[in-house]
Amino acid sequence: MAPLLEVLHLKKYFPTSRGLVHAVDDVTFSLEGGKTMGVVGESGCGKSTLGRTIIHLQNSTDGKIIFDGKDTTDVKGKELKALRGDMQIVFQDPYSSLNPRLSVHDTIAEPLRLTGRYKGPDLEKECRRLMDLVGIESRLYNAYPHEMDGGRRQRVGIGRALAMHPRFIVCDEPVSALDVSIQAQVLNLLMDLQDELGLTYMFVTHDLSVVKHISHNICVMYLGQLVETCDTKELFSKQLHPYSKALLSAIPSTDIHHPKQRIVIKGEITSPIDPKPGCRFATRCPYAGEECQKAQRLDEVLPNHFVSCCKCREINDL
Amino acid sequence: MNANRSNFLSVRDLVVEYHSEGEIVHAVNGVSFDLGMGQTIGLVGETGAGKTTIAKALLRILPVHSVENIAGSVMLAGKELMTLPEGEMQQLRGRALSMIFQDPMTALNPVKTVADQIAEAVKLHNNVSKGQALDRAKEMLQMVGISPDRAGEYPHQFSGGMKQRVVIAMALACDPQLLIADEPTTALDVTIQAQVLDMINDLKKKMNTSMIMITHDLGVVAETCDTVAVTYAGQIIEYGTKEDIFDRPTHPYTVGLFNALPNMNANVRRLSPIDGLPPDPTDLPKGCPFSPRCPYVTDECRRGAIDDIFINDTHTCRCIRAGRKEEK
Amino acid sequence: MAEATIQKVQKKQRRIPRPGTAKYVWYKICRNPLAMAGVIVIVLLVVLSVLSPHIMKYDYAKIDMSNAYRSPNTEHWFGCDELGRDILSRILYGARYTLSVGVLSVLISAGVGVALGSVAGYFGGMTDQMIMRVLDIMAAFPQLLLAIAVSAVLGTGFDKCIYALGISGIPRFARMMRANILTVRNQEFVEAALSITCSKPRIIVKHVIPNAIAPLIVEISMSIAAAGLSASSLSFIGLGVTPPTPEWGAMLASARNYIRLYPHMIMFPGLFIMLSVLSFNLIGDAIRDALDPKLKD
Repeated sequence: MAPLLEVLHLKKYFPTSRGLVHAVDDVTFSLEGGKTMGVVGESGCGKSTLGRTIIHLQNSTDGKIIFDGKDTTDVKGKELKALRGDMQIVFQDPYSSLNPRLSVHDTIAEPLRLTGRYKGPDLEKECRRLMDLVGIESRLYNAYPHEMDGGRRQRVGIGRALAMHPRFIVCDEPVSALDVSIQAQVLNLLMDLQDELGLTYMFVTHDLSVVKHISHNICVMYLGQLVETCDTKELFSKQLHPYSKALLSAIPSTDIHHPKQRIVIKGEITSPIDPKPGCRFATRCPYAGEECQKAQRLDEVLPNHFVSCCKCREINDL
Repeated sequence: MNANRSNFLSVRDLVVEYHSEGEIVHAVNGVSFDLGMGQTIGLVGETGAGKTTIAKALLRILPVHSVENIAGSVMLAGKELMTLPEGEMQQLRGRALSMIFQDPMTALNPVKTVADQIAEAVKLHNNVSKGQALDRAKEMLQMVGISPDRAGEYPHQFSGGMKQRVVIAMALACDPQLLIADEPTTALDVTIQAQVLDMINDLKKKMNTSMIMITHDLGVVAETCDTVAVTYAGQIIEYGTKEDIFDRPTHPYTVGLFNALPNMNANVRRLSPIDGLPPDPTDLPKGCPFSPRCPYVTDECRRGAIDDIFINDTHTCRCIRAGRKEEK
Repeated sequence: MAEATIQKVQKKQRRIPRPGTAKYVWYKICRNPLAMAGVIVIVLLVVLSVLSPHIMKYDYAKIDMSNAYRSPNTEHWFGCDELGRDILSRILYGARYTLSVGVLSVLISAGVGVALGSVAGYFGGMTDQMIMRVLDIMAAFPQLLLAIAVSAVLGTGFDKCIYALGISGIPRFARMMRANILTVRNQEFVEAALSITCSKPRIIVKHVIPNAIAPLIVEISMSIAAAGLSASSLSFIGLGVTPPTPEWGAMLASARNYIRLYPHMIMFPGLFIMLSVLSFNLIGDAIRDALDPKLKD
């Protein structure tokens, strides 16, 4: 099956007063329809920028975005409008992602009105159908965001995205701001919607337990670069990049009887401004050597398992 | 609750009520727990469960103008804190009692160097010269893993994880006997969180500090705490050693909390969320506060306050079903 | 429980209007005695000014030299001026000029300022630079000086005075609006609007401005007072409303020659300027408190 989304050597640089920020640097992956791609990484690794660039909320600096077989990298005007219907986004912050002056139905009706597909009584009917779909009680039809809890607000945000009838949704940390019990409700909703509507997700998060739960494939990002991508199960059982190993071992476990052997990496993420060529993780990597100063390539080390580390085979005895 | 340990901190029937927009908020409703020397207790719960209010009540730093009622007893090393004159309390804060706040960005003064800020805390509570205080500050920075060369730098020159280390260094500078950490790693990335948690564990061992760890993350609790108090709607609904809570969670809320967590090891597609929302603290339900969300609710749960039921010497649970199970 | 919480919230909503709405502001003003006093004073002034030709015994323009410089008495409560005109009648009739100069000139400054500030703030870059640099040049002059310069070009008169004050107030509103827009523009709901194919003008009008305008409403009410005062100043130096018209500032100007002998001539118009400025400021304070979510209760 041809992938729904293909991202080829995508780059996004931001000029700042201190230099060029390499927010996304040469990221390549593909995503099949109806599947979920998890993108994990720590703050500042460019995972949110990647999502926003793919759905054209920001222009890419270089590279290609191929959606449903068509090159969409430079679409403009009407074509871009049509594309926006196919690609939507759910935001992290349920507080700032809803206009405080629009009620629930106004928020959900706004995209319906803009696309011009619904009018009058049909609009209200569709609005109520969407509210029902994302699990918002119909008595909240006229409620305002500040009257609702974070979970419900996030549902409104999902409803707004679904109103465009998208095929692909970027979920940008949609549950990070929610409490555990509410987080589970929203995750279940997202998975149900995927089954029901055949949606394709790109799920951006820093929470590995969430990403393991929801995604089929995972991309691990570090300082704008893709360091490892493979099937979710494989990543959690056989991660090959030193950073992935450290990241996974850093998650606090609730298993109190089998404390994990933790790989503590020293130092912190360095600045993404005008980085040197070579592996960006090298400054913190316990295995770093001279060959790490050279630019790294994403290699298919195992079938469908891509890693960007020149010492990967050596480290993992492959 | 645990009589066979010499208790360094003992909190009994703590109640905090404050008013907001003309309504009474029942933030903390009868909280009791004990903490031994060098031990760590984890206060776990969701947003609005009253965790931070408990901590602020212990330190007596709740905003005076909005507090309606504060009652109960807090004994620290044999001294009653609730009735202590403000002057003496001021002496204790920072010296015997220290608090680490969630957001390291706002806890530091942006126009003073980090060493100056730590030295100031030292000077405030110890009769030392400025030079001695600065030496102590550098020593503390070294201890939390920051090179003393960076002592003269300003907070904005540090990253988030480093700032949190500075905050911790400041909190520990006066050798406090009790450290209250309010979500100390929530604002940090996982790899940085791992570094900070390891550091806190090391320091605790080294200095024999008692600690109250406030968090919503059960993983953090598992890694740092000896005893755990699960809070819900301003009550401790389950209390016990780490093993009691993690191996034998009894209260339906605690069980629900564990089930709602995406499990790293199990392969279930759907999660089991807890239905509904936490109760409005201005309008708590009668009886068990969890009853409106509880799958096992009976009329008895709604009748009146639920008592703590002992499951074993160290493990109590505020649920009528806990006792029943024992009988069977 | 969740059910109960929401019902309770909704009940509360019915009792107290939603914060941020005009209704809520009115609700708060009604509960603030000082602001209410301000509202009453302004309303009273407007009503009396409109009715003054019908209810006052003396015409505001009728010259009666036999009563010149008359001190306050039972016939002429506020006394008479140098031409024997009844000061009370003149003050009440003149309220329409001073108040409408204040309101209209601020509407001009706020209207143009909000539009320019929004465009500059939302689009940024070159657009921002161009708009703001021009406004910076305007803002480099003290507002009154700028107003004087504008009226020197436009000439004197009631309407010219409004334009002069209106134009000179633009930079302040534009600057404020731009700053508010900058904070709102980076919120996620603006990005969300873009992703649901909302056009740029619609984003600005529907999503950005409504969330950025609250602090300006306060500024507007405060500025009305200041503009009224400036109108009086312009009249005072002879650039605003010209003497026969009983504008308060103009009355002050002509009375200043007699301040030692007949202080009542300058006292009463001064008192009314003070009273109206105070009233607008009190109302402005109340609106600011009502719109600040951090100032509950």
